[in-house]
Amino acid sequence: MSDTETRRIALERTAQDPSSPAVPAKARRSVSDRLFMIWGIAVLLFLFAPILVILVYSFNTGRLLIAFDGFGLDPFLTILNKPAIQNAVSVSIRSGVLSALFATAIGTLAGVAMARRPGKWVGWFLAVLVLVTVTPEIVDAVSLLPWVVFLGQDLGLTIFNDGIFRLIVGNSLFSIAVVSYIVRARLVGISESLEEASADLYAPPLRTFWRITLPLAMPAVLAGGLLSFTLSLDNTIISSFVSVSGTTPWPVYVLSAVRSGLRPEIASVSTLMLILTLLALVLVAWVLKRSGDSATQIARTMAGS
Amino acid sequence: MPRLRLPKATLALPAWVWLLAFFAAPVALIIWYSFGYKPGIFGTHANDILSLDRYAEALSPTFFTTFANTLWVGVAGTVLCLIIGMPVAYWMAVKVPVARRGLLIAAIMIPFWTNFLVRTIGWQIILSPQGWLSQGLQGLGLIDGPLEILYSRTAVLIGVVYNYLPLMILPLFVAFDRVGEPLREASKDLGAGRLQTFLRVTIPLARPGIIAGLLLVYIPLMGDYITATVLGGAKGNMAGQMVAAQFQTAQNWALGSAMAVVLILTILLSAAILGLVIWLASLPFRSHYRLRLGADA
Repeated sequence: MSDTETRRIALERTAQDPSSPAVPAKARRSVSDRLFMIWGIAVLLFLFAPILVILVYSFNTGRLLIAFDGFGLDPFLTILNKPAIQNAVSVSIRSGVLSALFATAIGTLAGVAMARRPGKWVGWFLAVLVLVTVTPEIVDAVSLLPWVVFLGQDLGLTIFNDGIFRLIVGNSLFSIAVVSYIVRARLVGISESLEEASADLYAPPLRTFWRITLPLAMPAVLAGGLLSFTLSLDNTIISSFVSVSGTTPWPVYVLSAVRSGLRPEIASVSTLMLILTLLALVLVAWVLKRSGDSATQIARTMAGS
Repeated sequence: MPRLRLPKATLALPAWVWLLAFFAAPVALIIWYSFGYKPGIFGTHANDILSLDRYAEALSPTFFTTFANTLWVGVAGTVLCLIIGMPVAYWMAVKVPVARRGLLIAAIMIPFWTNFLVRTIGWQIILSPQGWLSQGLQGLGLIDGPLEILYSRTAVLIGVVYNYLPLMILPLFVAFDRVGEPLREASKDLGAGRLQTFLRVTIPLARPGIIAGLLLVYIPLMGDYITATVLGGAKGNMAGQMVAAQFQTAQNWALGSAMAVVLILTILLSAAILGLVIWLASLPFRSHYRLRLGADA
């Protein structure tokens, strides 16, 4: 038997349920196993139900979203004649990309500092990040609105009257926290010896950062960046408070449609946006997997813990 | 050559400054507003006379009902998420073959990453009186008239359980996964039954994950605004909507600020009580020997 084949069989064996050789145990367990499986699949169906509904209703040819009339591509074609929708999606994507770049840059720096320059300050900084994460979005929203109005109109800092900039500020808070967590978690798990070696070989600190630290952290940086992009696309509450007319992002457009009447093209755009988000997430998972994370680690990273 | 020694936190400075400027400062500003009042019809806030009157107003019977309702939905929603999510997490971590876990995690996370507002609208369609669910249940003879759930507290509860369930399942899965097969086997070898193993080995070791799940669900749920707006109507009013209304329609920033502060305090206080209850409930199951799982447990 060749060496690779032995290894393959060993891998297969570990992949199997370790308790499977015990035949009587298996027979005894099958009822409860089946109950667990039924429950699990039922919950998965529950989780997918409204998404499937939106997918189906995005082909609704009727006038109102909620009343299904017929099956057709009409709502997708309607999007082409609705500049307001196109503008909202474009605002969302532009502010999402800019927020993600910004949050990733300063979140990465913070994450590197927490992992590589530990000290008392890390406790304080983590406390602020936790506060940012646990503060309800509605509180962030109502407090940011008077603040940006104050900075923009009373202090005359005109950049705070710019719609896209306001959205970036609103999106950035949670994203910075997420990126910092993820980058810190990755670097804490990697020994500092490579950076020490680089310093011993007389590389200046900045070069060590660019050539050693950043490449080591890169999977976490990319994952954090893409997560902040999806978080920003999803940001509804803060955006609905800080956005100015003319730069309405997509979720705020939908929220106002909830009040004035939902039409099928809302579902169609959502379907297209879902595909976009899924592509971003597949990319994150692929990056993490390539860097050798297991499924559990990927889940942990993405859950931000 | 003397090396330039920068303070340790230098790299984190931009994040510090940004979070102070756009998180701490604005929150401090609304705490300040909450001690003021609304001057006349056109003003939103004034702080020349400071008082606690806005807090008294925020807790007056009219608004207190909403806080009580929010607390009810928050606690009921979190408990339901735990009851529904725990078997799923256990199934994924213990029963499902390792090779298939990645796919299941992805399946749990896809709804979580779909636009929050849009999936809530999906529930609005499902629960509507003219919807398929309503017609199906009528066809089966389970209900007499059209389904009357939409725009009620029940609809809000379904919505929040749906929206926050993945936040419960993921940390529970990680916690159960970390306990590992060998410890459960050891417990069984030492004569414990399956229920006893679950209560005395799995649950105590998974406790950090359970607490994380409870907090991850409870905190955002208490501040929920979107689910209640889409599915709640007048009866399903939540504190988040009330705060928003003071800022957007009533233009009473002083009262809205006081409500926001009360909301934060309610969340922190009730989370602390929840922690105390969990600690007390776990006392009977405390083992004499502590086992640390991994460095990051």
